[in-house]
Amino acid sequence: MSSYFEEEKLEKNYDSVLMRRLLRYARPHLLMLIVAVVLLAFTAVAELAQPYLFKIAIDDHINYTEKEYTLDEDQAVYFDHQDSGDSIKVLRQEGHFYLHSVAEENMLSESQIQTLRSEDSRSVLNLGFLLMGIFFAAFFVNFAQVYILNYASNKIVYAIRHDLFSHLQKMSLSFFDEQPVGRLVTRVTNDTETLYEMYTSVLVNLFKDLFLLLGIVIVMLSLNRQLALITFSMIPVILLASYFFRAKIREAYREVRIRLARVNASLNENISGIRTTHVFKREIQQRHSFQALNQELLKANERENFISSIFRPGVELISSLAMALVIYFGGGLVMDQMIEFGVLFAFINYIRQFFQPINNLTEKYNILQSAMASSERIFQLMDRSPAIDDKPDAYRPEMIKGKIEFKNVWFAYKDDEWILKNVSFKVKPGESIAFVGATGAGKTSIINVLARFYDIQHGNILIDGVDIREYSQESLRRHIGIVQQDVFLFSGSIADNISLNQEYGSDVQIENIAREVNAHHFIEKLPQKYHHQVLERGNNFSTGQQQLISFARTLASDPSILILDEATAHIDAETESLIQLAIPRLMKGRTTFAIAHRLSTIQHCNQIIVLHRGGIVEKGHHQELLKQRGYYHKLYQLQYQSNEKKNPVYLHRHQKPPG
Amino acid sequence: MSSYLTLISFFKKYKRFYIWGILSLIAVDALQLAVPEILRRVTDAIQFGTLDRQQLLFYSIVIVVIGLLMMIFRFVWRILIINSSRRMEYELRNEMFDQFLRLSTSYYSKKKTGDLMAHATNDILAVRMAASGGVITLTDALFLNIAAITMMMITTDIRLTFMALIPMPFLAFAIYRFGVAINYRFKNVQQTFSHLTEKVQENISGIRIIKSFSREKDEIQNFDQYNEDLFKQNTNLALLFGTFLPTIQFISSISFFITLIYGTHLVLNHTITLGSFVAFNAYLASMVWSVAVIGFVINILQRGAASMSRINVVMAEKPDIKESEQPIHLKSITGSIRFANVSFQYEPDEALVLKNLHFTLEPGSTLGIMGHTGSGKSTIPALLLRLYDPDEGEVTLDGISLKKLSLESLRQHIGYVEQNSFIFSTTIRENIAFGVEDATQEEVERAANLAGLHQDILLFPKQYDTMVGERGISLSGGQKQRLAIARALLKNPSILILDDALSAVDTQTEEKILEGIQDTIDAKTTMIIAHRISTLKHCDRIMVLDGGEISEHGTHEELLEMNGYYAHQYQQQMLEEEIR
Repeated sequence: MSSYFEEEKLEKNYDSVLMRRLLRYARPHLLMLIVAVVLLAFTAVAELAQPYLFKIAIDDHINYTEKEYTLDEDQAVYFDHQDSGDSIKVLRQEGHFYLHSVAEENMLSESQIQTLRSEDSRSVLNLGFLLMGIFFAAFFVNFAQVYILNYASNKIVYAIRHDLFSHLQKMSLSFFDEQPVGRLVTRVTNDTETLYEMYTSVLVNLFKDLFLLLGIVIVMLSLNRQLALITFSMIPVILLASYFFRAKIREAYREVRIRLARVNASLNENISGIRTTHVFKREIQQRHSFQALNQELLKANERENFISSIFRPGVELISSLAMALVIYFGGGLVMDQMIEFGVLFAFINYIRQFFQPINNLTEKYNILQSAMASSERIFQLMDRSPAIDDKPDAYRPEMIKGKIEFKNVWFAYKDDEWILKNVSFKVKPGESIAFVGATGAGKTSIINVLARFYDIQHGNILIDGVDIREYSQESLRRHIGIVQQDVFLFSGSIADNISLNQEYGSDVQIENIAREVNAHHFIEKLPQKYHHQVLERGNNFSTGQQQLISFARTLASDPSILILDEATAHIDAETESLIQLAIPRLMKGRTTFAIAHRLSTIQHCNQIIVLHRGGIVEKGHHQELLKQRGYYHKLYQLQYQSNEKKNPVYLHRHQKPPG
Repeated sequence: MSSYLTLISFFKKYKRFYIWGILSLIAVDALQLAVPEILRRVTDAIQFGTLDRQQLLFYSIVIVVIGLLMMIFRFVWRILIINSSRRMEYELRNEMFDQFLRLSTSYYSKKKTGDLMAHATNDILAVRMAASGGVITLTDALFLNIAAITMMMITTDIRLTFMALIPMPFLAFAIYRFGVAINYRFKNVQQTFSHLTEKVQENISGIRIIKSFSREKDEIQNFDQYNEDLFKQNTNLALLFGTFLPTIQFISSISFFITLIYGTHLVLNHTITLGSFVAFNAYLASMVWSVAVIGFVINILQRGAASMSRINVVMAEKPDIKESEQPIHLKSITGSIRFANVSFQYEPDEALVLKNLHFTLEPGSTLGIMGHTGSGKSTIPALLLRLYDPDEGEVTLDGISLKKLSLESLRQHIGYVEQNSFIFSTTIRENIAFGVEDATQEEVERAANLAGLHQDILLFPKQYDTMVGERGISLSGGQKQRLAIARALLKNPSILILDDALSAVDTQTEEKILEGIQDTIDAKTTMIIAHRISTLKHCDRIMVLDGGEISEHGTHEELLEMNGYYAHQYQQQMLEEEIR
C-alpha cells in the first residue's frame, strides 16, 4: 500500500548518469537490440508503402500523360506498323490517347486502348500483390521485432530486479531496522516495472517514430522538393505548440496524479482505520474530508481535460492547415503539369501519418521522467553497501567445535548508547550458558552480536579461537541455530517451514525431526499433516505450536551452536510441558546460549550470567549463584520456588559442575 | 451488461451534457467525411481540366474552415462528455466511501483492505472508461461507419463498396478476440506481479530468520522463480500486443488490395472517376479505423460491466448493526454496564468467543480484565460499543438495551483505547482532537498532559502541528499508545476502556497516567484490559477470562489467595520488577 503514499515524488528530469547505468544493463543484449531496431526500420517502410504504391498505380498506370509500352504478340496485332517487341510512346490528353504525338490522325482506336489498358490492369494487380506481400512480411517482421525487443527488455529488467533483490539479501539487519518494509517492496516490484515500461514503450516507439518521420521526410523530398518544404513549414508550428502546451499538460497531469494519490491514500487510511472511525462515531467528519480531497481531484481532472481539449484538437487543426497548403500549392503544380497527380495523392496521405510521430515523441517524455525517478531510487539502493561485509578470504570451516569466547565486548546500536559494556565470558564446546536479566539488560544483543547481525565496536568474539569477523557470514550462521521468541513462519507447508527449502531429504526425515522436538503430535492432527499450509505469518497456530515448529526447524539445520530465546508469552499447559521436554533434546551436544525464563532450562545450563544494564553482575552455576544471595537468589525465591514444587522432575536433575 | 442499470440515474442527471456532447461528436464526424468529398472534386476538376486557381483557393479555405469547426466541436464534446465521466467517477467514489463508512466493523474483518481498494480504484476506473471512452468511441465509430458506407455507395460505387467491406467483419471479430485475450493475459501479469510482491514482502519481513539460517541464496533462487514467472507473463502479453497491430494492418490491407485492383478496373472502365477513387480511399481509411475501434469498445464496455457488477455487490451490502427506528438519545449516563448471559461468535462456524458471560459494572467502579490471547477480552468492549451484536443475551447501559440507543450517543459516552490504535497521517493536534469538533488548544494540551504525552510533543520540531506520518510511523510505540489515550480522554467520556492500551509504556509512566486519569475521571466507570499486574491491581474488581468464560474473579488480594492464573502471572512479573 505504500505506493499510494509515494506517488507524490514521481518525476525526475533526464539524467545522463542514470541513463548510462540503465544502458549498461542493456549491453549483454546489444545484438538483439540492434536486430530489433533494423526490423523496426523495415516495419516503418511497410507503413509508408501503401500511399507510394497507390501513387505508382495512379501516375504510371491509371492517369499517365505519357507512357512507353513494349508490345507483346497479342498487342502487336492491333497495331498496323508494329511488331512484337517494339516500343511505342502513348500520349494521353483530355481522355484521348495518341500514338507518338498529339494529332487527330494519331488518335488510338477503342480496341487499341483496350489492349494497352489491360496491361495496365495487370500491372496494378501486381502492385496489389506487392502491397499484400509487404504487409504479410511486415506481419512477421513486426512480430519478430516485438518478440525480440520485449525479450531483451524483459531480460534487462529481470537482471535489475535480480541484482536489487540479491543486494537486499546482502544488507545487514541494521539497514532493515531503518527501512519500512513497504518501501523496499516498492523498489523491487513497482520501480522495476516502471523501467520495463520505459524499455518497451519508450525505446521501441522512439525508434519507430524516428524511422517513420525520417521515412516520410525522405519520401516527400524525393517526390517533390517544393511541396515537401511547404509541408515542413508546419513543423515549427507544431513544435512550438507542443512546447507551449506540453509543459502545461504535464503540469496539469502531475497535479492529477498527486491528487489521485491523496484520494487513494485517504481511502486506504480510512479503510484501515474504519474501526477507529466507528468507535469515535466520526463518519460525517471523515466523509467531509474525503469529499474535499475527491473534489480537488475532480477539479484537477477537469483542468487537465480543458488543456488537452484545446491542445489535441489544435494539433488536428495544424494538420488541416498543412492539408490546405498542400492542396493549394500541390493542385497548382498539377495544373501547371509540374507534378503528376499521384504525387499530390501521396502527399495528402502522408500528411495524415506525418504528425503522429511528432506528437508521440513529445508524449513519451512523461514515461521517461517516471522511469528516471524509479531508476534513481533503485540505484540509490544498490549503491548502499552492507554495514557488515565478508573479508575477501573469509574463513569457511566445514565443522566447528563450538568454543566461544566474548573478550571485553562493547556494543551500541546507536553511537555511544552502550548496550553491552565490557562483557567477557567463555563457553566450552557442548556446554551451555544462560542469560538472565530484565528487559533491556542486553540479553538479545548478545545473540545479535554473536550471530554477527551487528558488529561490535570494541573487543572480540571468538569461535574456536577465531574472531567471528574472520568467518564468512554464511558459514558462521550455518553453524549457529537460533530459536527466536517471535517465530516467523513462511507461507508454504509445515514441511517447508521445517526444512526451510533446504534440500532436506524425505518426509520421513522431517517427521523424525518433528518427533524429536514433540511437534509431530500436533502436526499429525492437522488435516493435511506435514503438507498443511501455513496462513499469513502462521496466524493459524498458537504461540506454543509455533515454538515447536521453530525447534524442529533448528534441529533440521543441525547447528553446532544453539541460541535459544524462550518465548515469554502464555503457552497452554500441555504445550508447555512438550516444550520443556524438547528443550534438553535440542541442547544435547551443542554449545548453547539461552535467554531463559524457565527454571528447568536455566538449571540445565553449565553457567548462568545475570545481566544488568549491559554489564555482568553475577556469574556462576545454579548452586553458586544461590549461595551468593544476590539477584539470582532473589529471583529464584520469587518465582522459581513455587514452580519447583510443580515440576520436581527438573529440580533433581544432575548438574554438571561448570567449567 | 445489465449491471449498468445502476448508472441510469446518473445518465439522466447529466442527460443534457451527453446529448449535446454526442451531437458535437457527430458534427465532427460529418465534417471529417466532407474532406474526402473535397478531394474528389479537386481531383475530378484537375482531370477534366476545369480547375482554376480561384477554385483551388476556395477548396483550401474550406478545408481550413472545416478544420476550425472540427476543433471547436471536438473541444465541446471533450469538455461535455469527458467532464461528465469524471463527475460520475467522483460521485461514484463518494458513494462508495459513504458505503464504506456505513458498513459495520464485522464486514471489514472478512475483507482485505487491498480488495476494497481495488473496488475504489480499478473498478471505478473501468466504469469511467466505459462511460467516457466507451460512449464516445462507440457513437463515433457507429456514425462514422454508417456515414462512410453511405458516402462510399452514393458517391462512388455500390459494388466497390461491398467488395472493399468484405474483410471488415473479420477485422472487428479479430480485434474483439484480441481484446479478450489481452484482458486475460493482462490479468495473469497482474496476478504474477502480486505474487512477486508477496514474496518480497515476506522475504523482507522474515529477513532475520533468513539470515539466521543463511538462506539468502535459496531465497534469491526462490525469488528468481517468481521473477521468471513475471518475465514469462510479460512476454506473453507483449507478444499479443505485438501481433495486434500487424493483424489489423494485414486484414485492412486486404480491403485496400481489393480497392486498388477493382477500383483501378472501374476507373479504366470509366465507371468511376479518378476523384471518386481518391475519395473512396479516404473513406475506407476512416472505416478501417472505426471498425477497429468497435472491436475494442466492446471490450471496454465488457470490462466496465464486470467492474460495475462488483461495485454493485459492495453497494448492496447492508450493515449488520442497525439503529432502532426511534433510537434513544442519552444526554448523560451514569455508566452502569450489564452483560446478561452474553454469548458471541465472530463467524457462525467458529468457536464461541464469549460463553454465557454475565457480569455487572457499577457506575464509577473499575474493572480489570486479564486473560491470554483468544480468551475473549477484547470482545467485551467491542460488544459494549456495539461494533458487533451478541448472538445471545443482552448488553445494557444504564439499564437500557444497547439496541435501543442511538449509536452516536452510545459511542460518544465511551472512550475506547486499543493496543494498536489507528493513528491517522495528519498532525498530532488533529489526531488528538479526532473525536471532538472544535476542541481548543487548552483542551488538547490537557488531554495530552493527562496521557503523559505533552512533554514528548514539546520536543517535536513543530510540536502539536507535527505530521505523524502514515499510521503514526514517526512516533514510538509508547507515544502512539499515549496519543490514543489522549484522543479518548479529550472526549471526556463517562466510560473509559483501556484495552491493553499501555503495553508499550514503561511501568512508571503507566502509573503516572493511571493516577492522572483516576484524579480527573474519578466518577467514571473504567474497564482496564491488561497483562500487567501493576496495571490491574488497583481495580475494584478483576476478572480472569479463559475461553470466553470467567475463570477467576475478585479483588487483587482475593485473586492472589486463589493461587491460580492471576497469582502465577503476579509472581512472574514480580521477578522482572525485582531485577530491574
